[in-house]
Amino acid sequence: MRPPNDQESVEAPLPAGEDEFRLIADSAPVAVWVTRLDRHRSFVNRAYVAFLGVSYQEALDFDWRQIIHPDDAARVMQESIAGEARLETFELQGRYRRHDGVWRWLHSTSQPRWDAEGRHIGFIGVAHDITEAKEAELALREREAQLSAFINQATAGFGQVDLDAKFTLVNDRFCEIAGWSREELLGKTMLDITHPEDVGRNLGMFERAVREGTPYTHEKRYVRKDGGIVWVNNSVSVIRRPDGEPFGVLAVTLDVTERKRDEESLRKGEETLRLAIEGAGMATWELDLTTMEGAWSPNRFDLLGLRRTQDLRGTVDDWLDRVVLDDRERLRDAAYRCFRHGIPYTIEYRIRRADNGEERWLQSHGSRVSDSMGGPRRFVGVSFDITERKRAEEDLRESESRFRTIFEQANDFLITTTLDQRITQVNPAVLTALGYAEDEVVGRPVSDFMDPDQFEISRAAVAQKLAEGGTTRLTLQVRAKDGRELIWETNSRLTTDEAGNPTGLHAIGRDMTQAKRDEAHLRLLIDELNHRVKNTLAIVQGIAQQTFKAGVEPVAARHAFEGRLTALSEAHNLLTREHWSAVSMAQIIGDAVRPHGGDAGRFELDGPDLPIAPKTAISLALAIHELATNAVKHGALSLPEGNVAIRWSKAGTRDAPRLSLIWTERGGPPVVVPGKRGFGTRMIERGLAAELGGSVKIEFAPGGLVCVVDAPLPEAGG
Amino acid sequence: MIEFEGVRVLVVEDEPVVAMCLEDILEGLGCVTIGPASRLAEGLALAENEPIDVAILDINLGGEWSTRIAEALRARGVPFAFASGYGTCPEGFDGPPMIEKPYREAEVIGTLRELLPP
Repeated sequence: MRPPNDQESVEAPLPAGEDEFRLIADSAPVAVWVTRLDRHRSFVNRAYVAFLGVSYQEALDFDWRQIIHPDDAARVMQESIAGEARLETFELQGRYRRHDGVWRWLHSTSQPRWDAEGRHIGFIGVAHDITEAKEAELALREREAQLSAFINQATAGFGQVDLDAKFTLVNDRFCEIAGWSREELLGKTMLDITHPEDVGRNLGMFERAVREGTPYTHEKRYVRKDGGIVWVNNSVSVIRRPDGEPFGVLAVTLDVTERKRDEESLRKGEETLRLAIEGAGMATWELDLTTMEGAWSPNRFDLLGLRRTQDLRGTVDDWLDRVVLDDRERLRDAAYRCFRHGIPYTIEYRIRRADNGEERWLQSHGSRVSDSMGGPRRFVGVSFDITERKRAEEDLRESESRFRTIFEQANDFLITTTLDQRITQVNPAVLTALGYAEDEVVGRPVSDFMDPDQFEISRAAVAQKLAEGGTTRLTLQVRAKDGRELIWETNSRLTTDEAGNPTGLHAIGRDMTQAKRDEAHLRLLIDELNHRVKNTLAIVQGIAQQTFKAGVEPVAARHAFEGRLTALSEAHNLLTREHWSAVSMAQIIGDAVRPHGGDAGRFELDGPDLPIAPKTAISLALAIHELATNAVKHGALSLPEGNVAIRWSKAGTRDAPRLSLIWTERGGPPVVVPGKRGFGTRMIERGLAAELGGSVKIEFAPGGLVCVVDAPLPEAGG
Repeated sequence: MIEFEGVRVLVVEDEPVVAMCLEDILEGLGCVTIGPASRLAEGLALAENEPIDVAILDINLGGEWSTRIAEALRARGVPFAFASGYGTCPEGFDGPPMIEKPYREAEVIGTLRELLPP
């Protein structure tokens, strides 16, 4: 950089009083220039010269059109010509090549100049270098766009409510599914649009989620504005602030009313946020460091909302008083460091306007200058209003963080990949499900997480989307880190750039492992139930056929039938209680004898608690019932003093254990050997023997009936 | 019933009450019941060694399948029917008729007629 020398100044004379202006302008870190009516520049400041890297004279004559970025040139020149023609303040923004070859974003403001008679005499211009802000904005915008695409282009609806169930954020898809506009939803609670019959159940789960943080997935109905009903599958999770405090509940909503979807192209993401560096102009001030007051440009009063003073002068404190308390010390320190030690500063801070109390963001530059004549040292400063840029930045940041919250806290799996299916982003739910750390997943191909046949399905789906667009819905088997196979249902679509070219994929997935397992389990259960019902019916039919034989007196037959059904039913009760696993032998025998005086001390039961298989239990219960019925009618229990002892034990060897069970009746009337074999005897001697795979013998001994069972010990698992 | 007088029927059925019931139906028809067998090994021994005209096999024998008995019968050229609560034939056996439990006399008669040469 080369400072302008005296000779050059003479060649480009400035009007009287503009020495002052030159001093201020040269200290500003922004490019400043003054043009005459013939568009020739009569003055440029140091920053202007420095940017071009040429001599002062060359800078005056420099044709800036040759350093505009080709992408911006046509627009900037057109706007420039139009601006000049209007004779009003106009602004331009574009990329310019600095002397070192680097492209810089410049934002310029040009203002017409008028002489004392009000004649137009040229322009004065200021240009800020906004490259850093622009780049930061572009980076943030890209991230925001990515996340917002995720949420808004998603095939799923996202509905966020606060802890009172009031909607706070909904995406387009949610509105579409629920059938209410965003404005309407934001005035309602989610219960307002939930079908009345679903409210009770939903409220219970919602309150539990808020109270205990438990996520849930459920299906329910929304009532649309047009009165229609839509069935949705909602995956619901609690959203927390960084400190862990819950502040809302997020539902990821799939329309399950009609599985076909997607003909409607998705609406664009959030409205493009405007870049907001709109310096209304440069406000300047200077300060005499001995008196601590100095001249202010008129617009500096306007900027701070102060009434312009008669002499257009102000003090340091007039300025600092307008600065909000939180920023004041920081600013005072920077300013005084500059006043005392000559350290220039560039600082962003907030002020509260004096006239309307409005808070605005300013950016100020300050530097100390030494008077070449050895006069008192002075300070000069410039300020710009950067409120719009700051606000846009804040909005963008807020929007980005809102989408990020959803991304990070959703129960569902959110994944983005490149077109060749290399993973670029996953949310924490994916990592939790797979058991990987983020760096073990990001950057790796999708095929690393599934078997080749599954990857083939997924790749075919990408090819289909590339050919036809739209969404694909797949059920895929995915491998977790520990080798477990997970079943995921995924919806995925292409992400596109502004021109509509595919740039990658995003997928939203849900774990269906448990659901699929439940489904298979349920099918098994139904088959099993069918089998058992048929089997039980066959037994009942058998009992009926045996009981209602020709020649049996009908009333007695009916009683016998009821007794047998009761015994069967008792055995089933026990089996149901034990979930059709092995049951206790003592329990089966106890249940079977209870209706025949088991509670009145007529039976003496003695034996170990051996487990027996369900099927054997039914046969045993029926056999014991027959023995007991016979004892009550004809045997020991037909007299008040008679009783029955049932003793069983484990006998045989360790390798071949046997069951030994002896039924002994005592104190009954003299035993009469029956003439014909009835159902009871057959059931006991043949049925039970066959069931146990052993022998069962009934002896009509004179002292009382004895039944001896000898069989391999029934295996509980059989 | 003279039609089935003396026909030797192998019964494989693991539920005692149900076996008795089938036995009674067959007895009423004049058949001679071989068995009833309630286990695979028992049924297989009868199927391989006893003189049999026809057989009725419960498919599920307390968790074991009676298909091996069916194979033994097929090897001997003895016609047979399956019986089940499920109503589906085991794999590899499309031919034999299927009796759906519970057993009914009319159905047993129909099946015997189908299986036995006139």
